[in-house]
Amino acid sequence: MQESILEADIVVVGGGSAGSTAAIRAQQGLPKGRVILLEKAHIKRSGAIAIGMDGLNNAIIPGHATPEQYVKEITMANDGIVNQRAIWQYAVNSYSMIEELDRWGVKFQKTETGDFDVKKVHHRGSYVLPMPEGYDLKKILTRVLKRSGVNIVNRVMATRLLLDGERVVGVLGFDTRDGNFVVIRAKAVILCCGASGRLGLPASGYLYGTYENPANAGDGYSLAYQAGAELTGIECFQINPLIKDYNGPACAYVTGPLGGHTVNARGHRFIESDYWSGHMMLEFYRELHSERGPVFLKLDHLAPETITEIERVLHRTERPSRGRFHQGRGNQYADDWVEMHISEIGLCSGHSGSGVWVNERAETSVPGLYSAGDMACVPHNYLLGALTYGKLAAESALEFVRDAPPSEGEREQIDAERQRVFAPLSRPAGIPHHQYEYKLRRLVNDYLQPPKSENRLRAGLAHFTRASEELEQLGAESPHELMRVMETHMIRDCAEMAARASLFRRESRWGLYHYRQDMPEMDNENWFCHVNLRRGANGEMELFKRAVAPYVVPLDESELRGYHGLRIGRPAAAEALGA
Amino acid sequence: MSELLDRESLKAEAAKRVGNAQAVRRFDVPVVVDEQKCIKGCRICIDSCPVDCLAVNPATGKSHMAFDECWYCLACEIDCPKDAITVKIPFLLR
Repeated sequence: MQESILEADIVVVGGGSAGSTAAIRAQQGLPKGRVILLEKAHIKRSGAIAIGMDGLNNAIIPGHATPEQYVKEITMANDGIVNQRAIWQYAVNSYSMIEELDRWGVKFQKTETGDFDVKKVHHRGSYVLPMPEGYDLKKILTRVLKRSGVNIVNRVMATRLLLDGERVVGVLGFDTRDGNFVVIRAKAVILCCGASGRLGLPASGYLYGTYENPANAGDGYSLAYQAGAELTGIECFQINPLIKDYNGPACAYVTGPLGGHTVNARGHRFIESDYWSGHMMLEFYRELHSERGPVFLKLDHLAPETITEIERVLHRTERPSRGRFHQGRGNQYADDWVEMHISEIGLCSGHSGSGVWVNERAETSVPGLYSAGDMACVPHNYLLGALTYGKLAAESALEFVRDAPPSEGEREQIDAERQRVFAPLSRPAGIPHHQYEYKLRRLVNDYLQPPKSENRLRAGLAHFTRASEELEQLGAESPHELMRVMETHMIRDCAEMAARASLFRRESRWGLYHYRQDMPEMDNENWFCHVNLRRGANGEMELFKRAVAPYVVPLDESELRGYHGLRIGRPAAAEALGA
Repeated sequence: MSELLDRESLKAEAAKRVGNAQAVRRFDVPVVVDEQKCIKGCRICIDSCPVDCLAVNPATGKSHMAFDECWYCLACEIDCPKDAITVKIPFLLR
């Protein structure tokens, strides 16, 4: 295998939403500098929004919402465990991002008077801005990227970050088409690799039938961890209410403002708010597993023209194949409810609160390393958070590279990584990646899927430790298979992190996301803190508490519980889990 | 009886050390390419796929789904300039 060596001032890993704005902003700040955007797929259809997006879930539009309201709502939705300064930074910078997207040609829904047509989906405030023609979003980002002068490198998978002592000075990886080893030296690295979406196994049993784009395999979580960066809130899993089997979002954000809602098998509503939070998911879980289950999205009471409008959006953006899924089964919104379920767990800050620890400048705990988007912990950041924080990460990195000396990195590390990455090619008859991955992710379901308990988590951890040894048996016959093998390494790292973080937090919090059957109560006295983890000096995973920084927007005790009791008609505590 | 147990324990040891054997099985895959419409040398759909599951079929020179790893996202179908691709929902979910 050849080795290609590239040099850059800033390298961005991942060309989805966050990575696009990060690379564009970095190149703007370095008109003569070298910015590389590294993408495992191809930037025209990569990241979580390969086929566009139907709306912004968290737009703070003057006249509709204020940064104070938004920070309060997201703090509530996360039971208080947030770095408010990071959320505040998003809240005050995101409107200018919307204006920039508007200038780039992204079409937002507007009222007759030309105002942004904001909808209410959250429990308290109004933050949803529809983009009925959002299928153009990825194309627009690609166009702006191509004009920016960024050096785009497609089909290269990053497998480790290059280090110089504690500082990150580049990226190591390989070309998934020709198999060449790739070394990129850079003064700063911005990780924008998306969620860990291939952690649990979908209920369908199909490895790639995930909610997230399956290319988002948790690469960024593993890259950051192996480079010594802190991760946080990993026990706060991503769990979504999805269309059964299809696993796309049932899309309360699109249908809710038009009159659609979630019901049980009797047709009764049971949750106050369809906004995705751990407490909403706990009520969803209870209903699903009660005699009133399963759970459905109900649209059959809507006017035909409203249903046509819903189809126009849902069958063209985000997951457009849902139309043929329903049609294939002979179902239509006008007559049939859409069955929903809970499928695989994942890690994601865009939807939940699990990610790489970053501050309001998108700095990780490692010098020279920045992160943005679904993998960087700014809770409930979603698409607009990724776009906004991509820019912020680039601005911080630009400041850093001004005075940072270049570094060659450690040659020993480069050689060791080359050996590690290519080892599976020397075992073409080894265990195939898909069998290893199926088993690993099936074990994630068996032992990590909430409700959690100490016994199950410990058993799971033992399996993931054994799975670490089994990685040595994996074989690959081509660079493509090698990519899938290296992804399983990353998925395994995420599984171990998820088990250890869930064991460490000895209480329940965030509704279903961290529901411990053996410790069902929230315990603010001992656990009103972040749980962070990192790779310790001895190579073992270290877990520790980090205090919640003083709030920018204060909340009183009852406001902090604002997302508890989302069940309609009865207090949440009155019903035992699963009863 | 003890002879049987001895044999089992020897085989259990052997099972830990023995090499790998393979079998091949067919998969029904979601991406169906109309080879009459697909153009040789065009790699648009192969570039589009976020999981890189499409490739040129060496037998025909046309595009095909080479790996059972499709997210049924429709990128290939939408981007194909010749309307040569139809994506089905994977059978396991259909």
